[in-house]
Amino acid sequence: MDYILAAVVVLGAAALGAPVLQTAERRFRIGAYASMAALALAIVMVAANTVNGGISTVPYFGNLLVSDPLGDIFALVVLSVTLAVAVASFYSSPNGPNIPSYYSLLVFSALGMVLLSYSADLLMLFVAWELMSLPTYVLAGFDKKRVQSNEAAAKYAILGALSSAIILYAISLTYGVTGTTQISGVVARLALEPFNPLVSVAILLFVVGFGFKMSIVPFHMWVPDAYEGSPPAIATLFATATKKAGFVAAIRVVLVIATVYALAPNSVFTLANVLAVLAVITMTLGNVAALTQKSMTRLLAYSSIAQAGYILVGFSIFAYSQQTGAFAYNGLLGLTGSIFHVVNHAIMKGAAFLAAMVVLTQLKRGDLGAYNGLAKRMPITAFTLAVSFLALAGVPPLNGFWSKLLLFVSVINTPLAWVAVAAILNSAFSLGYYFWVIKRMYLDPGESTERVKEPLWSVVLFAVLVGLMIGIGLFPQQFISLASSAASSVIP
Amino acid sequence: MTAVSVPSYFVWLIFILPYVGTLAAPLTGKGKVRDIAAVFFPFLSAIFALYLLIPVLQGDTISLFNSIIPTSVPWIPELGINFGVLSDPYTVIIANLVAWISLLVMVYSVDYMKGDSGLTRYWFFMSFFIGSMQLIVLSDNLLGLFIGWEGVGLCSYALIGYYYHDEKENWVGTPGSKALGEEQAYPPSHAGMKAFFMTRVGDLAMLAGMLILFVFSGTFSYHALATSTAWATSLAAAGLLVPVALLIFGGAIGKSAQFPLQEWLPDAMAGPAPVSALIHAATMVNAGVVLVARIGPIFYFAMAANPALIQPFFMVVAWIGAFTAFLAATQAMVGFELKKLLAYSTVSQIGYMMLALGLAGLSTNFAEGLSAGLFQLISHAIFKAALFLMAGVLIHLTGTKYINEMGGLKDKLKITFAVFLIAAAALSGIPPLSGFWSKDAILATAWGSGQYGLFLVGSATAGLTAFYAFRMFGLVFYGLREKPDHEAPGHGLKEPSPLSWVPYSVLGAGTVVIGILGFFNLGGFLQASSVTYIYSLFTGALFGGLSPASQFNFVSSLVTLGFVVIGLLVSIQLYVRRKVSPSSIVKDSGFVHGLYTFLENRWYVNAVYYKVFVNAPLRASYWTFDNFEIGVLEKVNNGVRALALWFSAGGNWFDRNVVDEAADGGARVGQALSRTFRRLQTGILEQYALVLAIGLIILLLLFLLLSGVYVAI
Repeated sequence: MDYILAAVVVLGAAALGAPVLQTAERRFRIGAYASMAALALAIVMVAANTVNGGISTVPYFGNLLVSDPLGDIFALVVLSVTLAVAVASFYSSPNGPNIPSYYSLLVFSALGMVLLSYSADLLMLFVAWELMSLPTYVLAGFDKKRVQSNEAAAKYAILGALSSAIILYAISLTYGVTGTTQISGVVARLALEPFNPLVSVAILLFVVGFGFKMSIVPFHMWVPDAYEGSPPAIATLFATATKKAGFVAAIRVVLVIATVYALAPNSVFTLANVLAVLAVITMTLGNVAALTQKSMTRLLAYSSIAQAGYILVGFSIFAYSQQTGAFAYNGLLGLTGSIFHVVNHAIMKGAAFLAAMVVLTQLKRGDLGAYNGLAKRMPITAFTLAVSFLALAGVPPLNGFWSKLLLFVSVINTPLAWVAVAAILNSAFSLGYYFWVIKRMYLDPGESTERVKEPLWSVVLFAVLVGLMIGIGLFPQQFISLASSAASSVIP
Repeated sequence: MTAVSVPSYFVWLIFILPYVGTLAAPLTGKGKVRDIAAVFFPFLSAIFALYLLIPVLQGDTISLFNSIIPTSVPWIPELGINFGVLSDPYTVIIANLVAWISLLVMVYSVDYMKGDSGLTRYWFFMSFFIGSMQLIVLSDNLLGLFIGWEGVGLCSYALIGYYYHDEKENWVGTPGSKALGEEQAYPPSHAGMKAFFMTRVGDLAMLAGMLILFVFSGTFSYHALATSTAWATSLAAAGLLVPVALLIFGGAIGKSAQFPLQEWLPDAMAGPAPVSALIHAATMVNAGVVLVARIGPIFYFAMAANPALIQPFFMVVAWIGAFTAFLAATQAMVGFELKKLLAYSTVSQIGYMMLALGLAGLSTNFAEGLSAGLFQLISHAIFKAALFLMAGVLIHLTGTKYINEMGGLKDKLKITFAVFLIAAAALSGIPPLSGFWSKDAILATAWGSGQYGLFLVGSATAGLTAFYAFRMFGLVFYGLREKPDHEAPGHGLKEPSPLSWVPYSVLGAGTVVIGILGFFNLGGFLQASSVTYIYSLFTGALFGGLSPASQFNFVSSLVTLGFVVIGLLVSIQLYVRRKVSPSSIVKDSGFVHGLYTFLENRWYVNAVYYKVFVNAPLRASYWTFDNFEIGVLEKVNNGVRALALWFSAGGNWFDRNVVDEAADGGARVGQALSRTFRRLQTGILEQYALVLAIGLIILLLLFLLLSGVYVAI
C-alpha cells in the first residue's frame, strides 16, 4: 500500500508542478517530461504493489483506500493509457499556449482515476470521481478555437455534472440509511437490512450515475459527440480510461452491495435482470448504430458503447450468483471475464483510437472515405487498426476472443442464457462494420497510393499494442489469473 | 500392429512450419528468395507429415513421446483447457493430403503468379492458410480447431479478394446478368466479403454450440468428450443434445458450402486459380468434413444411451449432404464459366462426403460411413485440385473463362487433355479411377443400411455428375475454336511450363494410382484406419459395432453405373461427338428453357438471400439510426414540449400570481444561456439530458411496478 501512496504523491507533485516548472523558455518542455516521468513512475509503483504482496483487503489511510488486485488492475490500465495519451499528445501537438496545463490536467485526471480504483469509502470515491472528471471537461474543450471542441466540452460538462449530482444523491441516500460512507460498513449494515426501497433507489441511482461514464444506453448520448469533438488524444482517454473508471466504481459500489442486498424482494426486478437488460440494449444499439456511421470517431464511439454492453454481461451474472447463491462459479467467471475485457478493451480501443488519431493528423480527414486504400499509404497504421478491429470483433486467437469467451461461457446454462444469445448474435453482427473498414483499407482503391509519413512515436506505440493483442491472445493465462484474483477480491 | 514412437514436436512442426513461412514472406524481399522460402516451408512440413504417414501405411500405430514440445500443454488453466495434437491414422492421412496438395499448389503458383505485384501478400496468406488448415486437422480439441477455422476463413476472404482492383476480367459471373432484379456478377472484393459473412453464419452457430457443449462438459478435448458421458446425460436431460450437435454441424455447413449456406462458394471463384484449387476445392471446404468426423463419433456415442436421438441428427446430416449433392450437380449442368462449374461440382462432391458421415450414424458400423467419407475426401481433393489447376492454365492460355469459347484444344494441349480426361472420368465415377471407388463405398453404405431414399438421390446425382463432367470436357477440348486469335500476346496455344503441368500431372497420376489401389482393398485399409481412429478417441473398444470389414455391394454398384452410363452417353452425344446441338434443344422447348434459366440462376436461392439478408438489414440499420437514435429523440422532445405547454396552461395562474419579478430575471438569464447552447447543435444537449433523465425515471418506475414495493406501501 505504501507504493500506492507513493504513486499518489508522485502524481500529485507532477500535476501541481507541471505548470509551475514551465518557464517562458518553451524549448525545454519540462512540464510534459515531468508528467510522463511521473506517470511511468506511478506505473512502476503500482506494479511493485501488485508484485510485492502489498495486497491486503484491510482498508487503511483513514479507511479511505484499500489495496487489492482489483484496484491494481484498473490503476495499471488507466495509468498506462494516460501515459500513452501523454506520449501521443506530446508528439502530435507539441506547441500551444496552454500546454503545461494540459499535462497537469491529464495527470490530475489520472490521479483521480487511481484514487477511484482504490476507493473504499463513498466520499473518497466521489472526490476521486470529481478529480477525474473536472480536468476532462477542460481537456475536451482544449482546442478552444474549434467550435466542435467547445461544444463537446459543454455537453460533456453539463451531462457530467448531472451524473455527478445523481451519484451524490445516491451516496446521501445510502448514508441516510446506513449511517456510514465506509463501503465495508455499508455492506455490513445492509446485510442486516431486509429490504428498504430507499437503498434500492440509491443502487439504481448509482447504476445511472456510473452508467453515464460507462456509456450504458440510454445514458450514452454524449459519447459520440464528445469523442468526435474532443482533441483525438483526449477521445482516446475517454474511451479507454475514464470509461474504465466507471466500471471500477460500479464494481466497488454496486456489485459489492449486491453481494448482500437484493434490489427487490421478488425475483423480477433484480439487479441481475436490470444489468442484463441494459447490457443487451447497450450492445445492440451500439452495434446497430455503428454500422451506418460515416466518421471513424463516431464509429469507434458506438463500438465502444457496444463493448460496454459485453462487460455488463459479467456484472449481471455476478449479481445473479451473489443474490441467489446459485451459479457461484459462473458469477466469478463472469466478473473475471468483465475485468479481463476491460483490460483488453483498453488495449484494443486504445490502438484503434490512436490509429484513427494518426490518420486524422496526417491526412486531415476523419471520415471513412479517408480509410480507402490506407494499407498502401500507411501500412503500419492500417495493420494496427485491422488487428484491433479483429480483436474487438472477437476473432481468435486475439485477446478479445478470450474475454468474450469467458463472458459468454459464464452465462450459458444459467437463467441469463438469453443474454449470451444476444451477445453472440451481436458479436457476429459487429463484424459487419469492423470488416467494412478493413475492406476499405486493404481492398478499396484510395485517392492516392503515395506513402504518408507515420510518426515514429506512433509506430512504437502500435508495435507495443499489437504485440499485446497478439501476445495476450496466444498466452492469456497470466492475465486471466490476475483478473480472476481481482474478481474474487470483490466478495467481502 | 506395433506402436511406433515419434517425438511429439514432429506433429507440432507440421502446422508451425507453414506459420514460419508466413513470417518469411514479408521478410525475404521481393526476389527469388521469397518464392523459394514460400515453397520451402510447406515442403519441410510435408516431410514431417510423410514421416508420420509411413507407419500408418504399414498398419502401425503412432505413439507420441514428449520431446521439446509436449504432446499436450496447459493453455487456459482457469478453464482447464489444454492444447495438444493428434496422431491417429485418420488425422495423419488427412494431414498428408493437405500437406502434399498444398506443396504442389505452391509449386504451381510460382509460375502461375509470376510477376504479380501482390505476390508477397499472396505467399503470406497461402502460408498462413496452410498452417491454419493443419491446425484444424491436428488439434486435439474443438477450441484449437476453431482458431484454425477462423484463420482459414480469414485467408479465404483475403485470397478470394486477391484481385482487389476489381477489374472486370476478374469478376465472377457475367456482368449485367440479373436474377429477381439482383445482380448476379460480383467483383472479387465483394465475393470475398460474401464468403466471409456467409461462412460466418455457420461459424456463429458452431461457436454457440461449442460454448454450450463446454458449459455442460467443462472441456473442449475430443478425447475427454469421448470418454465421459456425464455431459451427454445432462445435455439430453435439458433437451439440448441434438440442438447442440446441429449447431456445431452448422459450422460445417458454412465452411463446406452445404445447403443452405452453399451460395458463397461459386462466387469465391473470383480468386486466383491456385487459390480455388487449394482452398476452395482440396482443403478448406473439407474442414467441415473433418469437423463432422471429429464430433460425429462423439455425439453418436453420447446418443447411444438414448438411441431415439441418433436418427434425427444423422438424418439431417445425411439429407443435407444428399440434397446439396443433387442441387449443386443440377447447377453444374448449365452455364459456361469453367471455374464456377467446378465450384458447383465441388459443392456437390462435398455433399457426398456429408452423406457418408450421416450414413455412418445411420448404419450399424460407424467406421464404414466414416471411411467412405474419408475416401471421397481424398479422391475428390486430388482430382478436383488437378481440375482447378488445369482450369487456371486453360483460362490463362485461351484468354476466356467461358468453356463455350474454348473448344478444340484436344490436339494442342496433349498433356492437359490427358490429365483432364482422367480427372473428369474420376469425377464421373468411372471405374477403375479413384472417384468410382469412393462414391461406390458411400452408396454401398447407403444401400447396406437400408437408406434407399438417400441411395437413390446419391445414385441419380452420379448420373448428373457424369453428364456435367463430360460436358465440360467436350466443350473445352472438342469442336472448333470460335475465336482462334485472341490469345494474350506471348502465349501461343502450347503446353504451359513444367512448373504448371507437372503439379497437375502428379495429381492426375495420383488419381490413377488410387484407382488401382482400389482393387487392392484401399477401402478396407481406410476403414481399418477409421476404426483405429475411433478407438484412439475412446480409449479402446468402448465404442461398439465397429468392424474393419467393408462390404462391396454388387446391386448398388450396378445401379449407380447405370446412371453414370446414361449421363455419360448423353453428354458425349451432345458435347463430344456433337450429334445434336444442345442450344437448339434449349431454344425449342419451353420447358427445357425454363429449367435452364432456373438452374442457371441457382434455383434463385442466391437472389433471395440478397433480398432478405443483405438489403433488408442495411435498410433496417439506417432506419434504426434515423428513427431511433435521432427520430425518437425529436418525437420525445416534441412530446415533452407539448406536455410542458399543457402543464403550463394549467399552472399559468400560479405562475402569474406566485412567481415574482426576481424569478423573472433569473429566467431571462437562463433563457439567454439556453439560447447560446441551443445554437451549438439544435438543442440536442437538452435532448441528451432528457434521455438520461427518462432512462432514470423508467428504471425507477419499473422498480416501483415490478419490485412489489408499491404493494408493500
